[in-house]
Amino acid sequence: MANRYVLEFSKTGYAKYTSHLDLIRLFKRAFRKSQISLKYSQGFNPHPKIGFAQPLSLGYSSSCELLEFETDKTYEAENIFNTLLPQMPQGIVLKWCKTIDSNIKSLAAAADNAEYMVTIPLDITVDELYNLAKGYMEQEQILAMKRQKKDKKMVSIDIKRMIRSFNASKVDQNICLTMLLDCGSMSNCSPELVIASFCQYGNIEIPRYMIDVERTALGFSNNLQF
Amino acid sequence: MELQNKLDRILKQVEKPGRYIGGEINSIVKEPKDVKTRFAFAFPDLYEIGMSYLGMQILYNAVNKETDLSCERVFAPASDMEELMKKEDMPLYTLETKTPVKDMDFVGFTLQYEMSYTTILNMLSLAQIPLWAKDRGEEHPIIAAGGPCAFNPEPLADFFDMFLIGDGEDLLPEVLKLHAECKAAGITKDGFLEKACKLQGVYVPKFYEVKYNDDLTINELCKLNEEAPDFVQRNIMPDIEEAPFPINAIIPMVEAVHDRAVVETFRGCTRGCRFCQAGMIYRPVRERSKDRIIELAKGQIEATGNDELSLLSLSTSDYSDFENMTLDLMDYCKTSNVSLSLPSLRVDKFAFEVLSKIQEYKKSGLTYAPEAGTQRLRDVINKGVTENDIYTSVEQALSLGWQHIKLYFMIGLPTETNEDLDGIADIAKNIIEINKKYNGPRGGRFRLTVSVSNFVPKADTPFQWEGQNTPEEFREKHIYLEQKLRIKGVTFNYHDDFTSVCEAVFARGDRKTSKALWEAYNLGCRLDGWSEHFHPDRWQKAFEISGISPEFYAYRQRKTEEILPWDHISCGVDKGFLLSEKEKAYGETITPDCRHNCNGCGINELVECKWEGIYG
Repeated sequence: MANRYVLEFSKTGYAKYTSHLDLIRLFKRAFRKSQISLKYSQGFNPHPKIGFAQPLSLGYSSSCELLEFETDKTYEAENIFNTLLPQMPQGIVLKWCKTIDSNIKSLAAAADNAEYMVTIPLDITVDELYNLAKGYMEQEQILAMKRQKKDKKMVSIDIKRMIRSFNASKVDQNICLTMLLDCGSMSNCSPELVIASFCQYGNIEIPRYMIDVERTALGFSNNLQF
Repeated sequence: MELQNKLDRILKQVEKPGRYIGGEINSIVKEPKDVKTRFAFAFPDLYEIGMSYLGMQILYNAVNKETDLSCERVFAPASDMEELMKKEDMPLYTLETKTPVKDMDFVGFTLQYEMSYTTILNMLSLAQIPLWAKDRGEEHPIIAAGGPCAFNPEPLADFFDMFLIGDGEDLLPEVLKLHAECKAAGITKDGFLEKACKLQGVYVPKFYEVKYNDDLTINELCKLNEEAPDFVQRNIMPDIEEAPFPINAIIPMVEAVHDRAVVETFRGCTRGCRFCQAGMIYRPVRERSKDRIIELAKGQIEATGNDELSLLSLSTSDYSDFENMTLDLMDYCKTSNVSLSLPSLRVDKFAFEVLSKIQEYKKSGLTYAPEAGTQRLRDVINKGVTENDIYTSVEQALSLGWQHIKLYFMIGLPTETNEDLDGIADIAKNIIEINKKYNGPRGGRFRLTVSVSNFVPKADTPFQWEGQNTPEEFREKHIYLEQKLRIKGVTFNYHDDFTSVCEAVFARGDRKTSKALWEAYNLGCRLDGWSEHFHPDRWQKAFEISGISPEFYAYRQRKTEEILPWDHISCGVDKGFLLSEKEKAYGETITPDCRHNCNGCGINELVECKWEGIYG
């Protein structure tokens, strides 16, 4: 028995300003507080086996965060859920907890795509928006500036093939973009690249801090579903 | 909603936005309409510093326990946040309910360190509250302060409505309850302050006026309000066994500097080091029972999920049943996978037995604080450590495999000569030699760190009359030591000299020094405790513009008959005792630890002094 579990939670309101590392620390504390003992890795510097399926950028909210962990005792998934539920800070709401098979690879390795909803406070007509979105996606290349890992230099890359779907709609006085993007270790496209290139294409001069991003779905390879 | 949108925009642009959001596990949010007086605990430094401070957790718990009161928190914003708050006209707000601080009933700053004073002014200004007390009206909150620096509150007197002197966990809720009563009865601020100043430990500065002599020293202190006491006696809790203590400590959102469970084992100290303010102002020693300490430790670990436990006191091993308490705690920590840390431990045989079982220590190294380089000077400051104590214990540490030792010294102590500085280098050299016996002639991986801080004379100590060294003198000594300590395996650290001067000015400053603070704040000084934010040039200029001379406030030797700015605030230790200790210092005579024999400091006239501790 592997005692392997997945927990889904949402991250909304001010909690979206909690960083990835702080959130992991918070969960570790909640596990200790609940006396659920996590399994530790072997070796010189043991650390608990706990991690997110995909890190979420600081400032993004999400309705679909997944936390994967292993325990060194067997617990009912429902008990874990019920114990952790009241221990969460404001804005973190647990949705469910399930066991998962020991033989599948880690969620981080299996992550394949992610869906985001981007809200831009710009009041344009439905037709204008339709044309803008169509024109954006029909470009031969969609170029975006990305910082290279190696030398930290900004380079221009084509993200078109990493955008699996792209829809624009008008909600109240805002543009609402729904996008499905490559995500994971094989190919990864940050919504930041889409936002920047879309705004540049449409000459939209809204400061980045006025734009909201929410992750709405995470998809995995091997038909892994939750 | 408007405020929330504004905040949302701001938070997307700052570093570590988690500092500014609240909502932590164990934080307490009360509906404003459900309470009578709303209190904001203000910490004049960044979130991750303030959240490490046990005093805040204690007071948060003590105030929120009362149904009619609420305690919310506010910290200093970092400079990026400050800039955006100004740009967006976003007033400083509390973390719990995002209420602008100016709309709270009562704001309390903690005074931990003189270099936080400009940050206090900056926080008031960001809160859109007038800085000078005289410019505030009925619509503004009461601005109060407490903490160790409140024992000489005079540099801040003109900015604050009241100071709470001494133990706060019973006094603060009492003052706030009084405030709630006055508010309900429609009593004005002044009416409230008149009632409050009758409580032991409450100082209302505007009820007094200070008159000065031509030579700038104090001529007399005049009382302006008949209701005010002639002098303010510190609030002392006779016993801390049952004092409110937070089991449900708030778990910080952004990792705090110290993120661990903490239990205060006792308050006060019997050693009587003559430079140490804490050793005087927290008298007498008041211990918690072993059972209570363990109960608090367990409770906190269970409620917070911490995996580290630390004990807090002025001298960990002076607890009267230290061995048994430690063994019990070690047992508990071992079974619950918690690492135990024992700060400021006297390194003796028992300590080694304990430390060798707590693996963590080998990583962090051992620290000794001889404070002075020669026995003569250690006798002057009454630091009861001999060179042999250190060497014996270093030998033991080396034989048990420690690879890193730290030594703490002070320079600029009264009567210091070059011989005393040479003594610092000699101790370092001798330790390096001792190490060769254990780690071979080349010394192996062993490192010795020598840290030297600049002596700052503090109020309420036997050295309160002493002159401080000038920055030039400090610099000369740093250079001298740097040369003497060019020894393989030794790292030498020292503190900025001008920071120490600023500390000294405000540690013993009078009301006039508030002008220098005001100017420094206007010149952009804040977060001065962070070396990257400290601008000596701005401080120099502030002293010049305000006519506050470090010569007068820091370097000058005061006459013992001079009226000192804090003379009307009593910490409970007799001035006569401080004076006799000063004389004994110059006579190089030690005063033994008062654990076994009362030295007559006067504290037992106010409160029972269990000098041997509860298990003594």
